[in-house]
Amino acid sequence: MDTRKDPQQPVAPGAMFSPSLEPEMLSLDQAAGMPVPAEVTPAQKPSSPLRDSLRRLRRDVRAMVSLGIILFFVLVALIGPPIYQHIGGPYVSNVNGLTLSPADYHNYYHEELDRQDEGPSAQYWLGTDQLGRDILARLMQGVLISLFVALFVEVLDITLGITVGVLAGYYGGLIDQFLARFTDLMFAFPGLLLIILVSGIFGQSADAVFSHVPIIGANGNARLLLVGLILAITAWPLMARYVRGQTLQLKEQQFIEAARTAGTTNLRIILRHIIPNLFSIVVVASTLNISVTIVGESGISLLGLGVQQPGSSIGLMISDATQNIDTYPWEVLVPCIVLAIIVLCFSFLGDGLRDAFDPRSKD
Amino acid sequence: MIQFLVKRFVGLLFVVIGVTFITFVMGINAPGDPIVQLLGQHYTPQAYAALKHAYGLDLPWWQQYLNYLHNLFTFNFGLSYEYPNRSVWDILSSGVPVSLELGLWALLLQLIIGIPLGILSALRANTWIDTTNMGIMLALYAIPVFVLAVFVQVFILWLDNITGGSSGINWPVAQWGVPWHYGWSDIQFKIAPILVYAATGVAYYARLSRTTMMEVLRQDYVRTARAKGLRERVVIYRHALRNAMIPLVTILGVTIGFLVTGAFFIERIFNIPGIANITLTSIYSRDYPVIQATTVLLAVAVVLGNLISDLLYTAVDPRIKIQ
Repeated sequence: MDTRKDPQQPVAPGAMFSPSLEPEMLSLDQAAGMPVPAEVTPAQKPSSPLRDSLRRLRRDVRAMVSLGIILFFVLVALIGPPIYQHIGGPYVSNVNGLTLSPADYHNYYHEELDRQDEGPSAQYWLGTDQLGRDILARLMQGVLISLFVALFVEVLDITLGITVGVLAGYYGGLIDQFLARFTDLMFAFPGLLLIILVSGIFGQSADAVFSHVPIIGANGNARLLLVGLILAITAWPLMARYVRGQTLQLKEQQFIEAARTAGTTNLRIILRHIIPNLFSIVVVASTLNISVTIVGESGISLLGLGVQQPGSSIGLMISDATQNIDTYPWEVLVPCIVLAIIVLCFSFLGDGLRDAFDPRSKD
Repeated sequence: MIQFLVKRFVGLLFVVIGVTFITFVMGINAPGDPIVQLLGQHYTPQAYAALKHAYGLDLPWWQQYLNYLHNLFTFNFGLSYEYPNRSVWDILSSGVPVSLELGLWALLLQLIIGIPLGILSALRANTWIDTTNMGIMLALYAIPVFVLAVFVQVFILWLDNITGGSSGINWPVAQWGVPWHYGWSDIQFKIAPILVYAATGVAYYARLSRTTMMEVLRQDYVRTARAKGLRERVVIYRHALRNAMIPLVTILGVTIGFLVTGAFFIERIFNIPGIANITLTSIYSRDYPVIQATTVLLAVAVVLGNLISDLLYTAVDPRIKIQ
């Protein structure tokens, strides 16, 4: 909107006093949905903080490239498999003589037992694994699983983190005490150890219980619900702590005081004035947590405690392929490189978002 | 000081009791009957009752828990469910020196590689040295340790391949030598896992020491030291570095947490017979007493690490009063 005006401000301070500019700035602020147009003088904040942040983010090449790669992976994981299953002609299997369509042999759990450990070819774009399964199909399914778990965990993380964090910050008291003790316990105890323990002991029961859940429970993915739940349980205290800190700061600001003076109820203050202002901190914290979640899920699957065969996960692919690492390094490198790229992109994006929303955090 | 120590030890006791209680409750609610599993084809009702009594599993749960706690404080972790007549400690004891060796080396490397790299970056801030260094450190920090391990293994295999195995770098990618022995045959096994194991911590220390060092360099007393004409070396090593070290001490606990979880991946991928690997084997064979024992051991290691870093913090910074 007023991207050009912002840099001009420090250069020409005299412009601030020009009578023509002031009313215009005020109206722009109102249009941008500033939370407190009445409290902040237009000369101090010439444009919306959100727009400023987004502009800073757009200038951050590393973060934007990362965002592009992440969107590419999301797109491939969502629409890649159905497209890939329509590419290629019929194939007569040497195992049982049946004629297979690409929907069969480009499926992530189809085993073509005489086509094991092949390199990339026209039929198998990234080759096959030790059971003759299509590596590209398994990879796309693995990325989908990673992203699904990340989404599942973030929904729980954000819901729990905002609820407990706002209540602890706004009201203090008992819930604040509870949050402090719980976060101390969670920080003292490594999260992954808890996941290994719970999944190791209750994993098989979880398989039995959740395998009846339609769609997500099928094909060895049942245990992911348990893993996701524990990942969320270990993640939310950090989110709640960030939210609590931000709420404590916001609570003291004048626009909250103004709202209270005007007789606004606590519930309305929280919903209308505090939660919208948590946007930036929640976005940054959850983006950074996504890479932790994705590493956690693939790590657990690598240890054999997450996704079960014939399901696919990046961790499971690494675990399968490390057995043949000396003869077929290709098979283990593909999932490793993809996982490294995804995790790096989320870290870069998270860093970029943090710098954009809070420029002071950059040295 | 004494009061602080007592307070922290009481806190430590609470964490240990909490962790043991959680693992104990999980153990008794775990699916499957370990006695039936242990007896296998020798199952008779009499033998079942006798063995259940021998394991103390016929007692009420709170009595079982008190027994378990009592045994714990005498370093008796009970009997294995998987191997008849073997105690848990007997199973774990072979892995403890291996894991300790791995962990201590990694801890040492984190400090002696990570901190100098961070300081270097801070002193050359915003030059190409800083940018490259911090880029590599960010990648090392973000990329999961098991992916790094795989990359290193593939690299070693490739190196082995192009030299035709005749270069003397005929490194096996998995195994472990004799604990605490450093002949060439042992070093071959140990160097790669230790380096990968330390990588996350090195990156963490480097990033943090850069931040703290840059903060210290902006302080007034550094400007004063420069203004009174001290040599740059004295300013950096005597005035800045010492103060930059203080916050670094507190993250010791965090990096011990990294090491505890990293052990599962490193020991699994490099096939190292440490306690994390033994725990994984026990998880697969559902040997709950072993799982409980390792969980307690690792949790205590993490809590002790936090305690030590708190104590060090007060030792290096006299301004901090213990309460």
